[in-house]
Amino acid sequence: MQIRDLPYSDPGDPDVRSGPRFLFWLGRNQLGGQLKSLSWGLLHQLGIAGLPVTVGLAVQAVIDRSGGRLALAGGLIVALGVLIAVGDTMLHRTAVTNWITAAARVQQLLARKTAELGSALTRRVAAGEVVAVSTGDVEKIGWFVEALSRFAAAATALVVISVGLAVYLPSLGLVVALAMPVLALAVLPLLPRATRRADEQREKAGKATELASDTVAGLRVLRGIGGEELFLGRYRRASQEVRRAAVRSARMWALISAVQVLLPGLLLISLVWYGATLARDGRIDVGQLVTVYSAATLMLFPLRHFEEIAMAYSFSRPSAQRAVRVLSLHRSAQEATVEGVTPTGDLYDPATGLMAPRGQFTAVVCGDPDEAGRLADRLGGHAETGDEDDQAAAAAPSVLLGGVALDEIPLDAARAAVLVQDKDPVLLSGTLRELLDVPSSGLVTADAALEAAQCADVLSALAQASADNDGDPMRTRITERGRSLSGGQRQRLALARSLVTDPEALVLDEPTSAVDSHTEARVAAGIAKLRQGRTTVAFASSPLLLDAADRVVLVHEGTVVAVENHRDLLRTEPRYRAVVTRETDDEAAAANAVNGVGDVPAPKSDDVPAMKSIEEIEERA
Amino acid sequence: MIGVAPPAYDPAAPESATTLPVGTPTTVRSYVRSLLRRHRRAFTVLIAVNAVAVVASITGPYLLGGLVEDLSDGVTDLHLERTAAIFAVALVIQVVFTRSMRLRGAMLGEEMLADLREDFLVRSVGLPPGVLERAGTGDLLSRITTDIDRLANAMREAVPQLAIGVVWAGLLLGALTVTAPPLALAVLIALPVLIVGCRWYFRRAPSAYRSEAAGYAAVAAMLAETVDAGRTVEAHRLGGRRVALSDRRIEEWTAWERYTLFLRSVLFPVINATYVTILGAVLLLGGWFVLEGWLTVGQLTTGALLAQMMVDPIGLILRWYDELQVAQVSLARLVGVRDIEPDAGDAEVGPDGRDVRADEVRFGYREGVDVLHQVSLDVAPGTRLALVGPSGAGKSTLGRLLAGIYAPRTGEVTLGGAELSRMTAERVREHVALVNQEHHVFVGSLRDNLRLAREGAEDAELWASLAAVDADGWAKALEKGLDTEVGSGGFALTPAQAQQIALARLVLADPHTLVLDEATSLLDPRAARHLERSLARVLEGRTVVAIAHRLHTAHDADVIAVVEDGRISELGSHDELVAAGGAYASLWRSWHG
Repeated sequence: MQIRDLPYSDPGDPDVRSGPRFLFWLGRNQLGGQLKSLSWGLLHQLGIAGLPVTVGLAVQAVIDRSGGRLALAGGLIVALGVLIAVGDTMLHRTAVTNWITAAARVQQLLARKTAELGSALTRRVAAGEVVAVSTGDVEKIGWFVEALSRFAAAATALVVISVGLAVYLPSLGLVVALAMPVLALAVLPLLPRATRRADEQREKAGKATELASDTVAGLRVLRGIGGEELFLGRYRRASQEVRRAAVRSARMWALISAVQVLLPGLLLISLVWYGATLARDGRIDVGQLVTVYSAATLMLFPLRHFEEIAMAYSFSRPSAQRAVRVLSLHRSAQEATVEGVTPTGDLYDPATGLMAPRGQFTAVVCGDPDEAGRLADRLGGHAETGDEDDQAAAAAPSVLLGGVALDEIPLDAARAAVLVQDKDPVLLSGTLRELLDVPSSGLVTADAALEAAQCADVLSALAQASADNDGDPMRTRITERGRSLSGGQRQRLALARSLVTDPEALVLDEPTSAVDSHTEARVAAGIAKLRQGRTTVAFASSPLLLDAADRVVLVHEGTVVAVENHRDLLRTEPRYRAVVTRETDDEAAAANAVNGVGDVPAPKSDDVPAMKSIEEIEERA
Repeated sequence: MIGVAPPAYDPAAPESATTLPVGTPTTVRSYVRSLLRRHRRAFTVLIAVNAVAVVASITGPYLLGGLVEDLSDGVTDLHLERTAAIFAVALVIQVVFTRSMRLRGAMLGEEMLADLREDFLVRSVGLPPGVLERAGTGDLLSRITTDIDRLANAMREAVPQLAIGVVWAGLLLGALTVTAPPLALAVLIALPVLIVGCRWYFRRAPSAYRSEAAGYAAVAAMLAETVDAGRTVEAHRLGGRRVALSDRRIEEWTAWERYTLFLRSVLFPVINATYVTILGAVLLLGGWFVLEGWLTVGQLTTGALLAQMMVDPIGLILRWYDELQVAQVSLARLVGVRDIEPDAGDAEVGPDGRDVRADEVRFGYREGVDVLHQVSLDVAPGTRLALVGPSGAGKSTLGRLLAGIYAPRTGEVTLGGAELSRMTAERVREHVALVNQEHHVFVGSLRDNLRLAREGAEDAELWASLAAVDADGWAKALEKGLDTEVGSGGFALTPAQAQQIALARLVLADPHTLVLDEATSLLDPRAARHLERSLARVLEGRTVVAIAHRLHTAHDADVIAVVEDGRISELGSHDELVAAGGAYASLWRSWHG
């Protein structure tokens, strides 16, 4: 696999049984790359190992006053230089390629998993957790993958050099060969503590960053009302805590580097002492002594890889674990049993008795906004419940579209038939044209949808913000989540997007809650006109929207209690009147007294209605 | 592979102009100078410690060189015990000072980093409200997260390590010169290749790494958006498209990885060639000099070993120089915040009375495009004024002018006869507060979230403020009460509860004039009206300007101003406007049935 061939056309099916297994799966999938990297690494290390020989050769040649052998040493250095340069460069290239291909593969797997899980994802794991895998963990996994072959090459090279030295010069070579394992393993016991401290530091740093970004995010509030000093003080404390944790961590690393100077130093002293005695007694050449000394200093570099691989593994294992946690998620929704059906007809929910006749604009009023949200979700079929408390809800019979149970057809077919726009639809980043380019029937143009959703002011705002200054709002980028637009503008753009889709049945949950009254009346008329002859359901509590619907359904505590048009319901149904006109208690009481209807809706668990009835009693008294 | 051209698409290129300034080279330089001055002592100590460690490390090659000299001269009494003892002492010194050098380097880096991030936040919280409203907080947010992160590495490692590397290389070169001056020449032979190679590399590398980092961040951002928009993606069947987009981001990112890999594929051989040239030149030239009798064998040995030691500092310098280049850009973005003019307010200017007046006000966000045209308005103390009108008519803009966030282009907005735009932000908010739809809950306890409005407030006051906004019910139900951790990562408040918190702060801050910009829009409509009434009792006698989506807010107000196309088209009480039969009246009828 080369970098230029990325991304993978298919990142494969990962082994998600555990973190280490996932790492193994990644490694197995790039076996060729790992072997290449290992070979080049070996070449590099052995090339470096050859240098001391030339140093010794040159010194000995000079002692022996041999110009020819000195030239030979020079030739050897050039040859080794080429070997080292090629080996090092290619090792780097292949190891980094392993890193990038592994990272790209994991990113692709994450992208596919999140797209597959859709709305189910954040019900199982926190959104932040998934993003953290992408921003932090992938890098650590890649590090391990990259370090693996380099470590293997270094370890192999060390063995080869030790054996070579022992053969070349048994007396001194054995000393080096015996010392190597000690040098390789000496710092390992210190590493767990060092990495733990590094983790603590990272965690503290993460908290400080969070505090800072939180303060900045709320800066307008702070500047408007005060409290800057409170938050600055808090951040300063967090920042100083990070500093202290970092210094604590640095203490360990400083100790480790001291050990890394001490042990090789002791080896060098022994070599000099013992080697000089041998050379004095004429048992070895002076050049050989220099070779062994020089080799011992150069062996420190491959030794560092022992430390690196231990750290890489200790960091990447939990990272792989977290990645596996996300990648092993599945949708709990039931399997499709009916294939190839395009349902059409009335939308009916047997659980509540809610019926939206085909081709009509039905508005639904719920006393409890959360209940409205759940009911809207149900209407789309394949509702994700996630937690166990909702077993009852999950067991409820499926919503039917034209008599076809939506839960039984494939998810994609159900979403194509019924589009549920939730309370807080997200505007995906991109230009306006890209935003409105969604799978659709193709019958509703973007212009028609924008007009129906009364987006003229959004268009002019976007045209003004247009970076290219050609003033084309369709080509203007909408900032992330539409933050540069007001709540009402965002809501109308989301509505336009749903209208463009033009599904068989469109379910809207409070589509105009943030839109001002002036505009809302026009939006309601726009929806009714554009969706003429198509099935539309809107959950709402605003009279301006309700008035535009063909029929209005009042749902109370999970059951349909009245079906009529807005004006009639307003006259005849006090519970409806209470929700829709937002009468306060005194007004409601007055109305009740006049109409002779005794009961206000039974107080629910929230405080507001409970307080209402108390106040009402006081009022009457 | 002959060469790789930089990819055409650059993810680091700004999509739209950054909203806040980026520091000029002059500001950055002067900031760096002041930072270094503040830590001058620590720097000096670090370099001294470093020098001792390096000098100690040179002892080995010297001793070996001496031994080689003696051995080749056939000296039998080598004084090995003395040599070993000196070596051991040098080793102990090297160990102790290496540890100290690493630790001091880290401490210095951490202190500079802490200074930098705290400085930045201090500057940020001092920004004028108008700048924040205009620029938004997104740019600032990315500076405090991404840029601080990038700088962290540079400060923590690059600055101290570079200082160490430079001193190290210099000392080795010096030692080589002292040992055998001709050998120092051998090192210089390698310099041209290194300089040409590095110049080529460093001219391309920093921007390439920036693009690479931005490309990688874009991969993560794409995923974050898919996660965040899970419901929308599923409802609109955008899954396949999101996967394709992610793959495209990966392609863009890896294209930059491939380019930077190419850059390093040029740099690595250059560095390797430099090492080998140094070593080879020292050995060959040195060997020749020895043969000619200009040098001793011992000098040659020491020189060769010192040349071999050059590997370390050169590697260190190249490794961290890269990082420093990347960090420079981030630093410019952080320091840029210092270039923003601080609040121009005059601490002497203060209101006399509570009258709010707008007089012939014109205002626009962009040159030549006015949002408000000659608006005049007089709000008597204690009045509850409702602003209604279609989206984009300028209600919120008028509200911000009345709250002193923006200054009018022409005309004036005064409070108690004094111009709001000439007062400091701190002075303005003693009198006027603005609550908008943005209802930020800070990470921290519920108590901290309220106390920011009145530092040192007693718990009883906090509870009273919660009661005033109908929030004491759910707040009392919290297990830890006011100590409950809220905000991101803590107990999740609903948007409606967050809005109540924002209003409770207002009750605590207790300004005499309030601008509420759809402050209750997120509450369940009936709860909203209830809350507004409770709030009205607490705010009795205060001047309230409410920008309203919902007509019941208008209905409850003393005066209603209908804003259309940047002008006030109708003004009067609810009954008057309904009787007048204008735009408001027709709207009210369709609303109330």
